[in-house]
Amino acid sequence: MGLPLLGQTGRPLVFPGKRSMLVHNDFPEDLEAPTESLDSFLTPVERFFVRQHLPRPRVDVGQWRLSVEGMVSRPLTLTLDELLKLPQHKLPATLECAGNGRGYFRPSIPGLQWTKGAVGTAEWGGVRVAELLQRAGMDGKALYASFDGADVGAGQTPDFVRSVPMRKCLDADTMIALTMNGKPLPEIHGAPARLIVPGWDGASWVKWVTRVTVAAEADKGFYFATAYKYPKLPVAPGGAARPEDMEVIEAMPVKSMFTSPGGGTAANPARMRMGRVPLAGFAWGGENRIARVEVSTDGGARWLDATLGKEDFRFAWRQWRMEWTPPGAGYFTLCVRATDSAGRTQPIEAAWNPSGYLWNSIERIAAVVEG
Amino acid sequence: MRAMVMLWAAMAAYGADGALVAKGAAEERKACVGCHSLRISSTQRLSRAGWEKELDKMARWGAKITEREALLVYLVDKYGDDKPVEALPRSADGVGR
Repeated sequence: MGLPLLGQTGRPLVFPGKRSMLVHNDFPEDLEAPTESLDSFLTPVERFFVRQHLPRPRVDVGQWRLSVEGMVSRPLTLTLDELLKLPQHKLPATLECAGNGRGYFRPSIPGLQWTKGAVGTAEWGGVRVAELLQRAGMDGKALYASFDGADVGAGQTPDFVRSVPMRKCLDADTMIALTMNGKPLPEIHGAPARLIVPGWDGASWVKWVTRVTVAAEADKGFYFATAYKYPKLPVAPGGAARPEDMEVIEAMPVKSMFTSPGGGTAANPARMRMGRVPLAGFAWGGENRIARVEVSTDGGARWLDATLGKEDFRFAWRQWRMEWTPPGAGYFTLCVRATDSAGRTQPIEAAWNPSGYLWNSIERIAAVVEG
Repeated sequence: MRAMVMLWAAMAAYGADGALVAKGAAEERKACVGCHSLRISSTQRLSRAGWEKELDKMARWGAKITEREALLVYLVDKYGDDKPVEALPRSADGVGR
């Protein structure tokens, strides 16, 4: 358990609408879900992680507009009411920060030291991006749409703009979400509208979207041209990669996690009693479904198939569970690994990379069974 | 009060360099808080070279750093890559507020 956290006023720090969260930063808010709190297929908003690059903007929904411009024949400027009158689409999808797990890489890497909880799944509802682009009369030669939110940085801090290749923009599940778990999008999650890019890294899911620019080229700003890139070929831990050897992160890798037990290290193992021990968690595979989840209770010597949850959607995590009866009291290493529908599985150790993205090592939990 | 305790701890730990560390702590409060709270620095563990790169980036983005060497010494002293990683703090329940 962490220490009680005091804000600048000396009172306990709370984030309205959020349960107790792991706090990486309070301004702007960067909040991680404790893994043991992630116990349902849809993550309640109150448990959903928060990542903000720039201070949260104050958006007056009455004044807010979404524009679609650039290589279009009929530029659009839409109010929220107008968006709500367009055909609406719904989709459960998992959102994970590209840097989830950065805190485990060694040598350590600058950036938020996320552990496991910068991930969650919600049912998103809104308007397909393809619908907007068609209504705007998109030029068939356009290759990207760039999405800008209402957030701005202080000083010369770059604006947060992300480009999405047209092939993904036109996917029937890529949308401008107006709802999250059936309710209007909360302010901290991008109200009134955020981009949903199913299966792709969270950085693509621009919040507080105000402008969609259709273009032949991707945005040249820091957050697309420099950040959120991954080396094309592995680099030695602590090493560097030339900019031309980096590529934009798109779909996320396959990954799995324990939520029961929520965690356990050699220094602070999970503790459990003899008898039937419920093991559970999630597995997800970017743009692929989960085909298999295996669990080991002996450090990976023997693997057994876990039971998969009934909710099976292409872009959402899959719950898994297994009941384990420990053979006796002692110290055990619990592991989980997932395989997706494309046959991808998890590495023993995720490849170190200069910005600490895409950590998907096979999770190992230290557990002590007491007699 | 917390700042004074931190200052005292920094000086006690660092002896002759305590004054520089204290100056760096003051610089952090002056130069960084316009854009983000200091908590984000406190969770990182970087080498001096790593902190140098971060300060370069922040300066490019508009941070007005006048006591750079003191700030570096302070960051390495408190949040160097040889320092243990601490458990993340948890907020209180904010539902219904």
